[in-house]
Amino acid sequence: MAEPLLSVTEVVHAYGGVQAVNGCTFEVPEGVICGLIGPNGAGKTTLVDVVAGALHLQRGTVRYAGADVGGWSPDRLARAGLIRTFQLSREFRQLTVLENLLVAATGRIDESLAGALFRRRQIAVAERALVKEARGLLEIFGLDPLRNDLAVTLSGGQKRLLELARAVMAHPRLLLLDEPMAGINPALMGLLEAHIRRLNSQGITFLMVEHNLGVVDRMCEPVVVMAEGKALAVGSMADHRASDAVVTAYLGRGRPA
Amino acid sequence: MPHDLNYYLATLAVYFLVYCVLTLGLNITFGMAGIFDFSYITFMAIGAYFAGVAVLPPSNQPGLQWILGLNLGFPLDLLIGAAAAGVMGLLIGLLAIRRIRSDYLAMVLVAVWTIAWSVTSNMIGLFNGQQGLIGVPQPFETQLGVNPNDYVFVFIPIAAVVLAILFTVAYCIERSPFGRALRATREDQDVAAAFGKRTVRLRLTAMTIGCLYAGVAGALTIEFLSAMSPNAWAIVETVIIFSALIVGGRGNVFGAVLGALLVRIVIIEGTGLLPTLPDHPELIGATRNILIGLLVIAVLYFRPQGVIPERRRRYFEARKPAADTSQEVAKGG
Repeated sequence: MAEPLLSVTEVVHAYGGVQAVNGCTFEVPEGVICGLIGPNGAGKTTLVDVVAGALHLQRGTVRYAGADVGGWSPDRLARAGLIRTFQLSREFRQLTVLENLLVAATGRIDESLAGALFRRRQIAVAERALVKEARGLLEIFGLDPLRNDLAVTLSGGQKRLLELARAVMAHPRLLLLDEPMAGINPALMGLLEAHIRRLNSQGITFLMVEHNLGVVDRMCEPVVVMAEGKALAVGSMADHRASDAVVTAYLGRGRPA
Repeated sequence: MPHDLNYYLATLAVYFLVYCVLTLGLNITFGMAGIFDFSYITFMAIGAYFAGVAVLPPSNQPGLQWILGLNLGFPLDLLIGAAAAGVMGLLIGLLAIRRIRSDYLAMVLVAVWTIAWSVTSNMIGLFNGQQGLIGVPQPFETQLGVNPNDYVFVFIPIAAVVLAILFTVAYCIERSPFGRALRATREDQDVAAAFGKRTVRLRLTAMTIGCLYAGVAGALTIEFLSAMSPNAWAIVETVIIFSALIVGGRGNVFGAVLGALLVRIVIIEGTGLLPTLPDHPELIGATRNILIGLLVIAVLYFRPQGVIPERRRRYFEARKPAADTSQEVAKGG
């Protein structure tokens, strides 16, 4: 069997004395929408930060696309196709919506100083192609009419859509989504869900931290349950509901035991 | 027009052109890359001193001491001054930018100014201490043999050509993917890195370009005034350049030029026309700083992005992508 796209082995990350991630092990095969659930403080976001290179890998191994990527910087991982979103939308506030997408196309246009001065013609050609691609994406996400507005002026839901569109513009192979559904209304949730499914069918693998179990139930397979810094169980939501350990740690019993 | 007035206006023109170089440079470092380079004026001074000792002969008497003394002419002195400022900016950037962010970086850069200013003032052998460099020969002074009172008319085209080149470079940067990446880094370094940007390299480049501009401005200053001393680069000068850029519009080359005009010419030269009170010689300087402060507050209140804000660029508007994809997804949602 082929090596999974992402494998996390015995990963540890402690903040001072607090072991946020404490020997976490799981795999994400290529092509899936993998859910990552667990109670608050289970270490989910810390794990995403470690995988994305934003936090230092203290112990353990992270392998991505066949390479040991422990210690890689976030920008190097991003150039290798590992893109992440943030729990709170972090758009480039004083850039326009369209520019937010263009920035994400690292490596597909000359961003050097020398290019800015001496290769303006080639850059103009490359930029036309990028703008076309970006506007196609904005159209799909319903943001094209807002393309020339500063990103700071968007509503919370629009920022969520922009965040996803921008991530897609980066041509990810693995997309880490940290609570994509947090704080958005049910209609928009359905829309985001459809987008994620469509992108997945186009070949993007997802690892998605999410608290909305309905969404996880509908979309994710496998689902990793984290508790106290470890991967407690990996399987389908049906498996998890049948598991005493998972129910106790996270799902709850619905009535006092 | 009487010659005196012509001379005065021509001198103002030179000050304006040189100040534009300063604001355009800071516009790249601060306006586009968001680096609070509070040591900015230091790099102007470095450019001036190195251009000065490139032109001056070797020092040979006590009381007039400086390093180098290369006896070179224009434009080599200007290139040496710019290069010295750029190299210093890169070195300080390598030490500071790699490790420290935003507000702490600003404090470190204030410290850089303090150290540079103290060392230059007290190490007489470097650039003649507090007294500074004086009597630096002006470009083409001897070749043209012009009357010193007419020299300003020789210098205007020199400064104008230099500014034209640097303005063009700044203009190209502002409209390039490089400039867009700088602005993204300014908005959020972590997110820029999460999209593959080498943020430290981008910020270092922006810092170095800004220092090169400051160095050129310094070299032009010493070429025109023939002198440079620590009095000319007090820390408040950095604050004034920041003010000019904030007033004019940071992130926009035209804003940088307008800021230079409003602050350097209208306010600084305008207050110079006020009558002096015999008992209060400092009043004009104080009035100047108060007016700059008030102008900054007014602009931040009424037009926070500056008089000419950063350009909201519209890209390639002509063609519209196919519209049917959106409906498809609307159904899916």
